Amino acid sequence: MSSISPSAARSWLMLLLAGGFEIGYALSVGGSHGFTRLTWSLVAVVFFLLTLWALSAALRTIEVSIGYAVWAGIGAAGAAVLGPVFFDERLTLVQSLWLCLIIAGVIWLKLADRLDSPKTPVEQPQEAESAGV
Amino acid sequence: MHWLYLGVAVVFEIVVAIAAGKAEGFTNRKWTIVTLVSGAFGTYFLSRALLTFDVGVGYAVWTSVSGVGITLLGAWLFGQRLSWRKGLGIAAIIAGVVGLQLSGAA
Repeated sequence: MSSISPSAARSWLMLLLAGGFEIGYALSVGGSHGFTRLTWSLVAVVFFLLTLWALSAALRTIEVSIGYAVWAGIGAAGAAVLGPVFFDERLTLVQSLWLCLIIAGVIWLKLADRLDSPKTPVEQPQEAESAGV
Repeated sequence: MHWLYLGVAVVFEIVVAIAAGKAEGFTNRKWTIVTLVSGAFGTYFLSRALLTFDVGVGYAVWTSVSGVGITLLGAWLFGQRLSWRKGLGIAAIIAGVVGLQLSGAA
């Protein structure tokens, strides 16, 4: 509870930022119509680079499976909510419930990871290297 | 055809997630290139899939199935723990994707 170090907080902030960029990425990729519309396509490329940069920075201290689940959860929820705002899309109630189950499943994967992992020291920037053997 | 596009995009996204983790904030050049190239291909195939899928549906299926693949690969390749809790999340995602398909959204 009181064990969150400043660098861990920065990583989680970066992860939330990556989630926001991911929403923009999802919407602009959809709006690009198979990369046939120039403006949407350029916006998609920018969001793609931003989301990768922020996610990659966050994953230096956050485990890949946790970081990915949070990032994907934010992106999926945002795209589902904002898709009908920007495009001519409509979900039925039943379809919305299935979507909620999928997004809950993605977030649950993250919670499962935290519950499963024993308490680990916060400063572990070398983790990625040892995992890559 | 849109399911095939989405499946190909999932494979590229799994590579992106692993490569981005190893790119260390884009300081490792080799993994940065792998990340960008895989991401470009994945994005292209996702955009083809989204010609048919609604954005909210197609994106959720793409990213959640990718998440399942990454969790499984993390357990098999990197020794991360695969518990019944993760299995429950994976089951929820699969049920949601199947449900979406049966309800005509995909």
